Amino acid sequence: MGLRWHHFALWGLFAVTLFVLPEFVSRGTLRTLIFANFLAIFAISWDTLSGRTGYISFGHPFLIGIGAYTTAILTKRFDVAMEISIPIAVIATMVGGLIVLLPALRIKGSYFALVTLAMMELIYQLVQVIRPDLTGGTRGMSGLPTLTRGAVNGYYMSVSLMLAIALTTWLVMRTRLGTALSAIGMNEEAVSGSGLSVTKLKMAAFLFSAFIAGLGGAVYIHYLGSIAPRALFDINFVFTIIVAALIGGAGTTVGPIAGAFFLTFLLEYLRPYLPGAERYMVYSGLALILYMAQPKGMWELFFQGIAKFDRLGRRE
Amino acid sequence: MLQVLIQGLLLSGLYALIAVGFTLIFSVGRVLNLAYGAYLLIGGYTYFYFSQQLGLPKFAGVALAGIIGCALGILKFQLIVRPLKGNHVAIEISTLILAVFLQSVVIFVFGDSSKILLPIIPGVERVAGAAIPFSNLFAAIASWVILISLWLFVRSTHMGRAMQAVSMDAKGAAISGVDATKINMFTWALSGTLGAIAGVFFASYTQLYPGMWVAPLIIAVAVVIVGGIGSIIGTLIVAHIVGFLEILTSAYIAPELRGVFTMLLIIVILVWRPSGLFGREEL
Amino acid sequence: MSAKLEIRNLVKRFGGLVATNDVSFTVEPGQSIGLIGPNGAGKTTIFSQIMGEHQQSSGDILIDENEISRLSTPQRILAGVSRTYQVPRPFSDMSVAENIRVGLTPDSIWQMITRGPNPDRELELAESVGLAEEQLARLPSELSMGDLRKLEMARTLATAPRMMLLDEVFAGLTVNEIAVISKLVQSMRDDGMTFLIVSHDLKALEPLVDEAIAINQGQLIAEGSYSDVMADKAVRASYLGAE
Ligand SMILES: Nc1ncnc2c1ncn2[C@@H]1O[C@H](COP(=O)(O)OP(=O)(O)OP(=O)(O)O)[C@@H](O)[C@H]1O
Ligand SMILES: [Mg+2]
Repeated sequence: MGLRWHHFALWGLFAVTLFVLPEFVSRGTLRTLIFANFLAIFAISWDTLSGRTGYISFGHPFLIGIGAYTTAILTKRFDVAMEISIPIAVIATMVGGLIVLLPALRIKGSYFALVTLAMMELIYQLVQVIRPDLTGGTRGMSGLPTLTRGAVNGYYMSVSLMLAIALTTWLVMRTRLGTALSAIGMNEEAVSGSGLSVTKLKMAAFLFSAFIAGLGGAVYIHYLGSIAPRALFDINFVFTIIVAALIGGAGTTVGPIAGAFFLTFLLEYLRPYLPGAERYMVYSGLALILYMAQPKGMWELFFQGIAKFDRLGRRE
Repeated sequence: MLQVLIQGLLLSGLYALIAVGFTLIFSVGRVLNLAYGAYLLIGGYTYFYFSQQLGLPKFAGVALAGIIGCALGILKFQLIVRPLKGNHVAIEISTLILAVFLQSVVIFVFGDSSKILLPIIPGVERVAGAAIPFSNLFAAIASWVILISLWLFVRSTHMGRAMQAVSMDAKGAAISGVDATKINMFTWALSGTLGAIAGVFFASYTQLYPGMWVAPLIIAVAVVIVGGIGSIIGTLIVAHIVGFLEILTSAYIAPELRGVFTMLLIIVILVWRPSGLFGREEL
Repeated sequence: MSAKLEIRNLVKRFGGLVATNDVSFTVEPGQSIGLIGPNGAGKTTIFSQIMGEHQQSSGDILIDENEISRLSTPQRILAGVSRTYQVPRPFSDMSVAENIRVGLTPDSIWQMITRGPNPDRELELAESVGLAEEQLARLPSELSMGDLRKLEMARTLATAPRMMLLDEVFAGLTVNEIAVISKLVQSMRDDGMTFLIVSHDLKALEPLVDEAIAINQGQLIAEGSYSDVMADKAVRASYLGAE
């Protein structure tokens, strides 16, 4: 896989930094970091499907929602232990998502984006009307069991999960599977013209993405202890996930993480000045400018910067 | 029964109007403009601001909404669509970001809570037990007038035919001397105007709040795709299917389920026949 | 090891347009056949049907006597046939080596993950088409048209075909580049590869083929030795008509 010592060094450094962080920052910042971790997980999940293969999903909360609702219903209504309900939720996300979205993978481009968007809207409406005694209807559910207590524990849990997912994704995407998935995003015809079954590859990307989304979604609501359909199946939520991945750099693993942290902290630092939802104005304005400036994300800007610096250095 | 028929017609007319501005962009510019819903949002709030807060005449409010929508369409074309040069994914994503941006601008200026729009024309007529607000009736009639004029425009004017040419084959149109950029810009402007005006009607039909753009966007997209891209007739038919489906669902099944069937219809048709029910095979 | 291709009564309609109109021919194992015809004659469409990128309206396509019409594109590649594209569209954000790697990748998710790439084989393929080792790390955007065609050949060769369909391999190339590609095709012919070659550059095509087939408006209008086909009245008329 072409692993070098500096890869391990960088991952190690990253992990150590994240793990000692609670010693230096306030509880409030820690809570913000927890959200950044979950956002990073969702952005990685989005990226493994959409960032790599170019099949843009506008309904990713659909997948996250299957995971979240499955474990919420199991624990709250049927008293299933979280150790059992979370794995079931992950499987449900993969299977449920596959049944519903597999036909959609046949269609391309804008149509795929639309189907996913409609899917999210559909599940949002269904959750509210079908068996509200199970789903909690419009209000959702609260008082769900939580995995951890307190900000520090919550932080360690979220950071470990995020790192585990990120590292796994990074390793898998470095293999030829990652190369083939990115190739689909560049020229799907030539991928099948190279003898690779595009359907199989898309399905693999989808299952991987659903796995992460289901796991992230399930753990997330057991961190929050509640679930609310309006916040989950929300266009702003889709927006935040996609922008995190894109701002950081789609098609990379570090990009979505960087983007998620950047966005979460941006929102957090704007809070004192713009307490309400207007923060999204600065946030989305900035996102639009950054995206228009470099659709490949900050990561690419960073590399271009280094390259420029390099050239300048050589000219000296 | 009569009530269902009348309500169905009213809602369908509104949906057709919403969808038609969208179909213009989708067939001429070949891009999925996710910020289309934001025209409705901006249109509704512009009307609210000028007519209800400043007290201008109502028709001035509608006209101003149209003008702002038009300006927005042109800006969007110049600042986003053109620089991205036909990169569809990038356009979809940046229009989505733009929509969220405009939504937050609205929240910033007008606040988060929903507003009640005073009816454009006050008064209610009762027909066979169905209450028909004049406003809705006016919206439906206005939708029809706009749709018919648009149809005539595309059919019989030079500009309209140029738009058709570009929608069928941008390269071929360029060869025969049609300036595709100009046509595109005109289409964006027109679509913005129609969207904003539809927004005024839609907001008075439902209510005015910052998140009001998502549902009509999905419906517009659905109507256009299911009806077949570039087919104004198809758009009309499907707008009626969706409109009646919603009214029938709320009348005979359950009001909460009205959106569910619309979404199901969209999903099934998109997956089963991506070219739509009446459209040509493309994209 | 060479593959045999047989096409029987192939028809392809696009709406009202008949792009392939009852075409039949056979390419014997190890044979090389030139497929000629004016612009829009339907050459590329025949390739797309052989590869399964377009499904024919009717007719049969056989590789080594086996009907392949129901197979997916990757399955047909497994059956031994592979094509190049008229307009090379390489994977734009990937290096030359990675482009070739996609062709070398086995169609099994598990093997993709567990087995690493084979840089030696990538280099070998690149060099076999005349790309230099230092070009392996380049991006396609840094390559000349000639090198892009070579890369296209290398990616196709990576799928280990027994029969290759070459679509306009000489378009946009310099005389030197044409010579390199021609030499490559010649040496592959010597090794027994079966070829079906489309080219507008008839001079470059002539030495590479045993026989020729001419089509116009989807119909086969002549077949036989290269010189006979070129002397054919209908063929000349079709080219003149297209000029
Ligand atoms: N996907 C398609 N849909 C509709 N018509 C098509 C399609 N692909 C090709 N055609 C039409 O089929 C005919 C044959 O096209 P084809 O590309 O096979 O010709 P060609 O012989 O390869 O031409 P050239 O020398 O220009 O490459 C043309 O008229 C073309 O317009
Ligand atoms: Mg061709």
